[in-house]
Amino acid sequence: MNTEVKETTTNIRDKRNNDVLLEVRNLKTYYPIKGGIFRKTVAVVKAVDDISFEIKKGETLGLVGESGCGKSTAGRTILRLLDATDGQIIFDGEDITNIRGVSLRKVRKDFQMVFQDPYASLNPMMMVGDLISEPIRNFTNRSSKDLKPEVMELLTKVGLPEDAYYKYPHEFSGGQRQRIGIARALALRPKLIIADEPVSALDVSVQSQVLNLLKELQDEFDLTFLFIAHDLSVVKHMSNRIGVMYLGGLVEVAEKSSLYAEPLHPYTQALISAIPEPDPRKKKERIILEGDVPSPIDPPKGCTFHPRCAHAMPECQQVKPTLKEVKPGHRVACHLYN
Amino acid sequence: MEPVTQATSAAVGSVIKPPKSQSPWALARRKFFKNKIAMISLVFLIIVTLLSIFAEPLTIPVEETAKINLTQMSKEPSAEHFFGTDKSGRDVFARTLHGGQTSLLLAFSITIAVITIGSIVGATAGFFGGWVDNALMRFTDFMMNFPFLLFVIVLKSIFLESSTATLIFVISVLSWTGTARLVRSKVMAEKENEYILSAISIGCSPFKTITKHLLPNVMSTIIVQATLTLAVMIVAETGLSFLGFGVPMNIPSWGNMLQEARSPDVLTSKWWIWIPPAAVLTGTILSINFIGEGFKDAFNPKSNR
Ligand SMILES: Nc1ncnc2c1ncn2[C@@H]1O[C@H](COP(=O)(O)OP(=O)(O)OP(=O)(O)O)[C@@H](O)[C@H]1O
Ligand SMILES: [Mg+2]
Repeated sequence: MNTEVKETTTNIRDKRNNDVLLEVRNLKTYYPIKGGIFRKTVAVVKAVDDISFEIKKGETLGLVGESGCGKSTAGRTILRLLDATDGQIIFDGEDITNIRGVSLRKVRKDFQMVFQDPYASLNPMMMVGDLISEPIRNFTNRSSKDLKPEVMELLTKVGLPEDAYYKYPHEFSGGQRQRIGIARALALRPKLIIADEPVSALDVSVQSQVLNLLKELQDEFDLTFLFIAHDLSVVKHMSNRIGVMYLGGLVEVAEKSSLYAEPLHPYTQALISAIPEPDPRKKKERIILEGDVPSPIDPPKGCTFHPRCAHAMPECQQVKPTLKEVKPGHRVACHLYN
Repeated sequence: MEPVTQATSAAVGSVIKPPKSQSPWALARRKFFKNKIAMISLVFLIIVTLLSIFAEPLTIPVEETAKINLTQMSKEPSAEHFFGTDKSGRDVFARTLHGGQTSLLLAFSITIAVITIGSIVGATAGFFGGWVDNALMRFTDFMMNFPFLLFVIVLKSIFLESSTATLIFVISVLSWTGTARLVRSKVMAEKENEYILSAISIGCSPFKTITKHLLPNVMSTIIVQATLTLAVMIVAETGLSFLGFGVPMNIPSWGNMLQEARSPDVLTSKWWIWIPPAAVLTGTILSINFIGEGFKDAFNPKSNR
């Protein structure tokens, strides 16, 4: 699929401007684990533990990390589908961390999510036409019938035939369902879309089609993306900048070119060395990580990566590194760069 | 959006005709209609229900069925009395139909009440979780641990004018707990699906998320539970009335009619007094259970051929 996906560097970067659309400050989301007969909180899963980043209007920030590192939790917290334990979410200049009720429902039309599992993210009982018009009906008093032309147009935009309108989710393949999900997310013309591993559940053959669709739509609707993936090769083709997550924390954020040319964090270096090299003549040294990802219930003290890090120093076991700008636009949380 | 594109896509849109619906409901309905046993049961249940509803024009008025007629005691079936008469000279055929009206009305009313209360409590607890769930479930446990029979007997003696309505109320209040637990667990499982998050993210209120997204997906469970409840409630009426704690004696019901079979004489030599209500009762319960099985099968995606 690498070859089929269009390169973004030229056409999207011009669209970026310096207005920040989303700013996340020291965000934490912990899941309580209840136990005992009184259902007391006995422990917490630190799924997202103090992450900060920003996304500018029109750009795509890719968020990568292994399964379980808290990517979905971060995305859901930002869209207020989960409550943040601490920190701030500033969307389009407004602090939305603690708004509730009607005012929360009002901002929801400005950000949408494309979900990971196309088989679970569409209500099986609803007709596709109703699924796609529902977001608009929630914010206006227009009827399904009234909205039909717009829904038809959206169906065409995401590459589905118009007779999909009368069908039900079970009549479609995974890739087509994901297109329905994308149409539904687009219906409200949001400013931000968080795509949570939108192609990881799809056949490799259709992955690139869906990725290309997302890119075309980004151009057409001036969308800003937070693009979540567990694999660097997918993110590479989608993003302007990339953030690398490990065990609930953000370890490195940089421009795509800078990150791939010169990864600074040992974890990022390992991830990049694991990308298959298309040219077999080029020799590449693969960094194999020792051990398993520790539990987010009881993360290691100091730098959470130190037990698996080849460059670990005594300091790494004691002091948790914070994200620091090491080069222009390149931030890393690692004691090697102090 | 420009009006031009709207107009063109409207024109294209109107050309496409809705195909034969493949909605999960339509698929389940088609499958249910193909199930012979369930269909025969459904026809049987509809006939029994219609005969009971139209008991009055078909036979004598309900007041007449209670009148004791000493000249007509324990008569065998004849052209005048299709099913004969009972020990008090009352027409068994008329009483079976009117009794059906009482028993079915009672069972249907209780089922509607039980399913409504159980679904609301279960869906609320399951969807919101946390302290809402805790409070509602402790209350459900509390209601569940009430000694059912004792409570019915006590309440019936408090409400001296024990009417059918009192009975419906008392049984409903005591019987919704099982449904609440079932709906709660089903909702909790269903809630994990991303389409619920999706509903919230497109701006659905909690009420709309529950009614438009969650409930349609647990409806099959609720419908199957309703048929089970209906059968159980017909048995409950019979049992309570048989013991003398059910429907007032002056109103005919299947349970009250079966009470007559407590006398050995009736049981052994006056079969026409108890066989008709017993047979209709058995047929009704069996057919409801077959219908329930049919629903279960129709809703089960795995049994799709
Ligand atoms: N409801 C929950 N209760 C408790 N722990 C949870 C819950 N949901 C997720 N977690 C835990 O939080 C951590 C982060 O989960 P999350 O789903 O955000 O990871 P992810 O990066 O999206 O992984 P994946 O690539 O598998 O989707 C994991 O350790 C997971 O086990
Ligand atoms: Mg995830």
